[in-house]
Amino acid sequence: MASRDVVSYDTPLSRALSIFGTVFVAFYLVWTLLPFVVMFVSSFKDMLEAFKLPVVGDWAGMTVFFDFSPTLKHYTTLFTENSFGTYIMNSLIAAGGSAVISVIFGSLAAYSLSRVDFRGKQDLFFWIISTRMAPVVAVMVPLYAIFRSLDLVGTLPGLILAYTTFNLPFAIWMLKGFFDNVPYAIEEAQMVDGATRFEAFRSILPLVAPGIGAFVVLCVLFAWNDFLFAAIIGSGGAKTLPVATRELVQPQNIQWGSIMAAGVVTTAPMMLLGLVIRKYLVAGLTMGAVKE
Amino acid sequence: MATVTIRNVWKYYGETPAVKDLNITCPDGSFVSILGPSGCGKSSTMRMIAGLEHISSGDILFDEQRVNDLAPKDRDVAMVFENYALYPHKSVYENIANPLRLRGASESTVKERVEGAAKLLEISHLLGRRPHELSGGQKQRVAIGRAIVREPKLFLFDEPIAHLDAKLRAHMRGEIKHLQRTLGTTMIYVTHDQLEALSMADYIAVMHDGELQQWGTPSEIFNNPVNAWVAGFVGEPAMNFLTCGIKGEGDGVSLMHKNFEIPLLPGQVRQLNGAAQTGVARMGVRPDAMSISMTRPSEAAIRGEIFVNELLGGDMLVEVELDDCRIRVKTTPEFAGKPGETCYLTVNRDKWHVFDAGDGHAYF
Repeated sequence: MASRDVVSYDTPLSRALSIFGTVFVAFYLVWTLLPFVVMFVSSFKDMLEAFKLPVVGDWAGMTVFFDFSPTLKHYTTLFTENSFGTYIMNSLIAAGGSAVISVIFGSLAAYSLSRVDFRGKQDLFFWIISTRMAPVVAVMVPLYAIFRSLDLVGTLPGLILAYTTFNLPFAIWMLKGFFDNVPYAIEEAQMVDGATRFEAFRSILPLVAPGIGAFVVLCVLFAWNDFLFAAIIGSGGAKTLPVATRELVQPQNIQWGSIMAAGVVTTAPMMLLGLVIRKYLVAGLTMGAVKE
Repeated sequence: MATVTIRNVWKYYGETPAVKDLNITCPDGSFVSILGPSGCGKSSTMRMIAGLEHISSGDILFDEQRVNDLAPKDRDVAMVFENYALYPHKSVYENIANPLRLRGASESTVKERVEGAAKLLEISHLLGRRPHELSGGQKQRVAIGRAIVREPKLFLFDEPIAHLDAKLRAHMRGEIKHLQRTLGTTMIYVTHDQLEALSMADYIAVMHDGELQQWGTPSEIFNNPVNAWVAGFVGEPAMNFLTCGIKGEGDGVSLMHKNFEIPLLPGQVRQLNGAAQTGVARMGVRPDAMSISMTRPSEAAIRGEIFVNELLGGDMLVEVELDDCRIRVKTTPEFAGKPGETCYLTVNRDKWHVFDAGDGHAYF
């Protein structure tokens, strides 16, 4: 990515804007990070400690938030009394499975749309994207009816299929942009060199790898964080982390400690994933959009 | 090694014909250049030979074998693309090795052939690099290396040096020609640069609007163009064209213009057969087939006014204004005329051409 130094000169207005910007960013950080801090800290607290709050206006009383004896009992509860091990696996399988299937079919379809001219191509492409235009809720009831008659409700394959339904058009749309940016001459060179069409396709996959990587992440995020499909189609046999967390809210008692721990368990892997591949992700997302 | 025969080949994109009834035979081991401006169908022709485009009708044969329905990989050709088309994620070594690997060559063969090709192209020291670390000229050598490493039947070069700077282009012209001579493999070389075609090829096929205009050796194309279009396209600076009247009968035929009246040489009168003798024609004369002087050398000299002088190092190009047009003439840098002065041009009638004013075909 080409970036350059922007020449700028200070004016009173620009100084004021920069101060305003700093203040804004500071508030924004507090606003976005505080819930995670509260979640993380509370997951190590006993119930009584978690609900200890300072009086309004008592800023010195803030220390009460950090005055606790850490305990792992909520985490233990998650994996012993609730079967969160299974739920993590369910989430991983559903998210990973749909990502893999979407990438395979998505890259094949995107490649075809990018390289082959056929009648109705534009219409087909629009039709593929248009499946993402309706809100998920709008199609939930018919989708549920279809899944039920196919006996897919409450199964992992059903959940994978549901996620793929929504990830695949996205995959095609996104990956097509990446394939469009790979010069066709590279494949032609491969074919003249002795490759079959399919080998030529495979040979350019390394060139769209950033795109595929970025897409896999987005796809996994979508499935991992999804609640709607998981609650309706995956309910019962294919319970994922968000649904399992929701079930910790019971009519007679809300297990705040476990909910906080479950939140950490759910969020941490995606945050780690994000940290590890963020460079890759940004490069991938912009590479498709901007011609180099 | 193969003779390539293109027989009655048409290429349509939708309703638009890009190549019209093309017939070419490239002799075994020859260097053939397909020359034409962009959009003339030369690249389509090459891509049909490579198998990257379907042939709408007609046949392409390698020796006696019809290749119309063969996939590119089965045609045993090697192609160098205009933009090199190197694999950006592979090293130079792997780029050159790619055709061998696709054909399942053993590791020792790959090493030997890649190093041989690299040595021939003087890129041995670059084998470990990636394409983005190379200059344009180096990339182009790698692309050629990839083509020669397999020893194919036929080389297809699609404007391979169009993106290099002028100096490097001149250098590579010689190198490519030498390479083809050394390997002895039939080569088809597509270019829009007439200088490349003239300087490198054994035969040139000049194309325009999808049609073959002329096939011949470089000197035939340059000295005996079949029509005004070829005459105007080949040669730099370009040929001057003047629309003239034709006057006279028998042996005394001359070309008439507001500024001059020049008699044809006796042999040329016959070539300008009866059909054109009363009408008009286009006279074509290359800038180096005229001489310029400040004094009137003879009655047949063309009188004009110097418009501008351009010094081209070893030569001087003078643009001379006539009553209704300007023509360019090449002379020596010592020429003393100044813009605005009257000058006289003498045409070398052994080297001039007359074309039909209608369809442009050449009388001589």
